[in-house]
Amino acid sequence: MNEELDSQLSAMFDDELPAAECELLARRLSRDEELKARWSRYAAIGATIRAEGGVRLNANLAVRVNNAISAEPAVAVSQAVVEPVREPTRRATTPRWLMPLGGVALAASVAAAAILVLRYESPMSQVAEQSPPPVTATASTTLVAKNATPAALDSYTVPKTLARRSIVPSTQLANYVVAHSEFSSPVNRRNLLSAFMASESGTAGAPSGSDEPNEDVTDDAKSPH
Amino acid sequence: MSADVSDLSLVRRVQGGDKGAFDALVRKYQHKLVKLVMRYVRNPAEAEDIAQEAFIKAYRALPQFRGDSAFYTWLYRIAINTAKNAVVSRDRSPIEYNIDRSSDAAEESYDMQGRMKDSETPEGLVLTDEIRRTVNAAIEALPEDLKTAIVLRELDGLSYEDIAAAMDCPVGTVRSRIFRAREAIDRRLREVFEGGLGRTEDLG
Repeated sequence: MNEELDSQLSAMFDDELPAAECELLARRLSRDEELKARWSRYAAIGATIRAEGGVRLNANLAVRVNNAISAEPAVAVSQAVVEPVREPTRRATTPRWLMPLGGVALAASVAAAAILVLRYESPMSQVAEQSPPPVTATASTTLVAKNATPAALDSYTVPKTLARRSIVPSTQLANYVVAHSEFSSPVNRRNLLSAFMASESGTAGAPSGSDEPNEDVTDDAKSPH
Repeated sequence: MSADVSDLSLVRRVQGGDKGAFDALVRKYQHKLVKLVMRYVRNPAEAEDIAQEAFIKAYRALPQFRGDSAFYTWLYRIAINTAKNAVVSRDRSPIEYNIDRSSDAAEESYDMQGRMKDSETPEGLVLTDEIRRTVNAAIEALPEDLKTAIVLRELDGLSYEDIAAAMDCPVGTVRSRIFRAREAIDRRLREVFEGGLGRTEDLG
């Protein structure tokens, strides 16, 4: 027998033969009984070296299996099943040229989601939702800081109800009214300022020298301010 | 070198309708599979029956084998499941006793499930022993570099690349050494069979 062929057979037995050579040798191995017998002896040599005790090296298991499957129809596999065997690591069936489109679609989805989130988080949305008042507390703190003594600051606590009711900071509203007055007629400006003052007098958080926050304040309606 | 490439080339041939390629796979893995099944059943004959059943199941399921795992890994799972099912089925079967035998003889020849132990024939035992003795003697007679290469491959399961690193030689040299070692052992093995103790086909 050809020594090069036997050398290839030995390497194939060890899974060390290049794929192209394997294809050719597999075809020959499946038909050449002498080559198969040598292949079997290679297996017996390996079993002996591994000292696989209890295993009968002369068992005609292959003959029995061969007889059993000879009565069965030959297995036939469609190309769709055979194909992944050639590339075991590739599992995705999406064509490569579709991959960039998938990325674009994903980016568009993220952008759309971001727009929706930003719209819900806009100031108008906060007004509509009566959102909790961390901003209000900050504005109030700023106002208080301008007027209060350091001792008073130490005991400062944001009135709960005030924080809950003030939606637009008083400072911002006042600034808006002042800015707006530059472009409005005197009558309207007076009306607007009056309305603003009236609204301010009706709330407990009116910025004045006497609005030092009080820990006892629990309800605006009961506030003396 | 990609792992399992030779098995995959044979598997593809089987999937294309070539039963002879499956025969090559059976010849390659029969001893390993019987050894595996013997973890569940101690009787070698029963282990061979289960291994045979596992091979037939594998053949029938081969159209679904996609090559995501190595062929032997896939075959291993089939064999384990077949062995477990066989043990469960055997445990559920009623115990049979042969009333024609004395109790002592029955203990020797029957296991708990009442199945007769398929003791190996004297010829079979002699042949298996002769094969082992011949192979071991042939290995001992090998030059040291050939012996080391074949043992590292078969016993330790190292790749050619790892063996090359261990023996500080090129991969091509490793391939040549392993081939020459196998040829030397195989030559002695063929003498055993041609001498009349058995036939080469018995190995298959």
